Amino acid sequence: MALLKREEWQGIVRDVDWTLKYVDDEAVYPEWHSGTGKVPRDAWQKWEESYKVSYPDYVATQREKENSAYAVQSALKRSKAFETLDEGWKSATKMHFGGVALVEGMATLAELKMARFGLSPAWRNMSIFGALDEMRHTQITLLFGHEFVSKDPQYDWSHKAFHTNDWVTVSLRSLFDAMMTGANAVDMAIQLPLTFETGFTNLQFVALSADALEAGDINFANMISSIQTDEARHSQQGGPTLEILVEHDPVRAQWTVDKFFWLSARAFAALTGPSMDYYTPVEHRKQSYREFMEEWIIDQFMRTLSDYGLKKPWYWDEFMEGLDIWHHSLNMGLWFWRPTLWWKPVAGVDEASRQWLNEKYPNWETVYGDKWRVIAENINSGNMEATLPETLPWLCSMCHLPTCNANYGRDGKWRVRNYSLKHNGMTYHFCTKGCRQIWWEDRDNLNHTTVVERFLLGEIQPMDVPGVLGYMGLTPDVMGDDAHNYHWASSFSQSEPAGTAGGR
Amino acid sequence: MSATTDQPAKRRLRTWSAFGDIKRRPSDYEIGTQGMNYTLREGRKAPFEQNPSSPANLWMQTYRDDSPLQVDDWESFRDPDMLSYRAYVTQQHEQETKVGGVLEQYAAANADAQLPPEWRATLARLFTTTRYPLHGAQQVQAYIGLMAPSPYITNPAALSAADMLRRVTLVSYRTRELQLAWPDDGFATGERAIWELDEAWQPTRRAIELALTAYDWGEAFTAMNLVLLPSLDDVLLRQLGEVARDSGDDLTWLLTSFLQRDAQRRERWSGELARFVVAQRPGNAGVLRKWIDKWSPLADESAAGLGSVLENYSLRGRAASEVAAAAAAARERLLAGASPGLASADPAAAS
Repeated sequence: MALLKREEWQGIVRDVDWTLKYVDDEAVYPEWHSGTGKVPRDAWQKWEESYKVSYPDYVATQREKENSAYAVQSALKRSKAFETLDEGWKSATKMHFGGVALVEGMATLAELKMARFGLSPAWRNMSIFGALDEMRHTQITLLFGHEFVSKDPQYDWSHKAFHTNDWVTVSLRSLFDAMMTGANAVDMAIQLPLTFETGFTNLQFVALSADALEAGDINFANMISSIQTDEARHSQQGGPTLEILVEHDPVRAQWTVDKFFWLSARAFAALTGPSMDYYTPVEHRKQSYREFMEEWIIDQFMRTLSDYGLKKPWYWDEFMEGLDIWHHSLNMGLWFWRPTLWWKPVAGVDEASRQWLNEKYPNWETVYGDKWRVIAENINSGNMEATLPETLPWLCSMCHLPTCNANYGRDGKWRVRNYSLKHNGMTYHFCTKGCRQIWWEDRDNLNHTTVVERFLLGEIQPMDVPGVLGYMGLTPDVMGDDAHNYHWASSFSQSEPAGTAGGR
Repeated sequence: MSATTDQPAKRRLRTWSAFGDIKRRPSDYEIGTQGMNYTLREGRKAPFEQNPSSPANLWMQTYRDDSPLQVDDWESFRDPDMLSYRAYVTQQHEQETKVGGVLEQYAAANADAQLPPEWRATLARLFTTTRYPLHGAQQVQAYIGLMAPSPYITNPAALSAADMLRRVTLVSYRTRELQLAWPDDGFATGERAIWELDEAWQPTRRAIELALTAYDWGEAFTAMNLVLLPSLDDVLLRQLGEVARDSGDDLTWLLTSFLQRDAQRRERWSGELARFVVAQRPGNAGVLRKWIDKWSPLADESAAGLGSVLENYSLRGRAASEVAAAAAAARERLLAGASPGLASADPAAAS
């Protein structure tokens, strides 16, 4: 005789809500953590996930996944693949390990928060699986990254990055703390599983996995594609939460989705954009970052919006324009401020790369070609000092990334703009109108200074470059330098000046 | 920024620099756990990278960082089972396979059809109703994991939360089987009323509801893992299992004994954590003692309430006072094993 089918009994597992008698509902589900807001408490009873899983199913499937992921890693330990990987690709993996491993740890806490403060038992149960998944992702990412620590100290930052005040880390912590455990359960379910995990992690995990295979990094592809198989399940928590929120408080629903789509897009422009369009060797690129964004993020996001009856965000035009700007500017910023990174940044502008960039981004040469040319000329004439920063980049008070977006002005010139705002006698600076608007509406980031503001306030001592690098936790053996020993610069001395490179 | 032109100092790391000058290679469990919770990073202005007075920051600051329970180095605590995710799903899959095999065999033998009415009524009151308090306990385990001052505590707490879901799942499966065999006995439909109205359950319900409002992480841990669950599991797993076996219900006896493995693992790490905090700072014994004294009467009343159900079970019953005394003794054994100072001053309770 076979076991009962899951459908026959799973309803009972979720039927565990009761009426609190000895304590107030508000004490068990405080607004700070649960965040029901305008949604009547009873409305959450309708919460139902679309992808069902039971405990015995879960441990059976996950055991198999774990065995297979670690079996591949173990088999590859004897291979020499790592030594043959391009330095630029290695940098993409260092950025990934450092930028992701402990975010998975934070996601474990976030899922535990929903397992405690979620407003329906079905939701709380799903979050237990979510917490287990995130624990898995933390451990697998740390273990895979750890393997390379003895070969290259920059891999130590797989673990260390989030314990420092490196500006990249501060920016990522600012995003993920607000998206995850710093938020109440309702907002978190929409911000993390729905806005972030159903869209953006696809980009980082599926697309980057394809690039990894092309670049010959089977180990990395194995790890991230195994992680991605879990997202499909636990990202289901967002849908039912959003459905209920839209019904009772559509304004909050729209705002929550809009805000974290924007902020996620900013972070991805800083990390995933450069990984795809600059760090992955040009011959191994599957698609451009813009193409991936259009296929994997924008289409999906638009479907989500229409599925839930939401509108296109107010910032849409600015966002779409940013697809040709943000990550190119940030790549240049990352490269320029390279001593502040835990990886070796890639300029990614040798002749073949420039040709590819101009094909994919018709404006690239006009906006960025001349700037890279100046840098290359300095390198070629041996004036390295001129290619290194003497100051810090101004950081956006919302996304904490450098304010370095080029905009096309009415005078026909491209220039970097800063969007400012005065509040209570303070002037705040932002990289975009979108960031400024988000900061103003919520003012969540009030009293939260950027690294540059900390410097100006005298919190970082001594007040010089070594002081700043020390504050960021950087040691000389880790500080980033050009991934390809500046060889790319020589291609500029043989090619035509900016604006005439087309047609090759 | 001329720093990049300096020759990098040569050093070859063997593991995360966070381990400091460690002589041995850390285990995979440690490599994947150490420093996992960056809201505990050194030199932080606030746990979360946002306004220091945001609700999330104030909560963490108050109920974690300012908890009366303090040690010098939380990261040096280790779960005695050193369970990684991988080890957990591997061992729980084995356990679930065993459970599945047993369930299949008893279903094939049509065992539920042979259960006598009075025992079925006892199961409905004392076994299938447990999904409610267990879900509450699951929430508290998740809270301990969320708020813990070390990832070496977060991980076992999260796994214990998953164990609770496992237990609710198995209880629910049996509830459905019993309902199919005895559609008129109130299985699957009557438990909420029992949980909310049956006098026998009210002390337990009160204890669980109050534990959900123990915001200080150390108090939540002490209340649930050192006091309430050790007492309640003695009744709901060990004693109920024995009575089931004596009543000829071998399936319930087997399942409760399988589930005891999870409870024992939780008691291992919880007992070790209690031992650890007292060893780190002897003054912590007083902190724990205060919470133990606050929660023990609630646990005793809960056990006595549940004991009354067994007392009224005429076939193989036992006195409510005996049930409660045994539950208190189970708790005292855990506490005494952790640190002699934590056990009750009253030797009768520990006998």
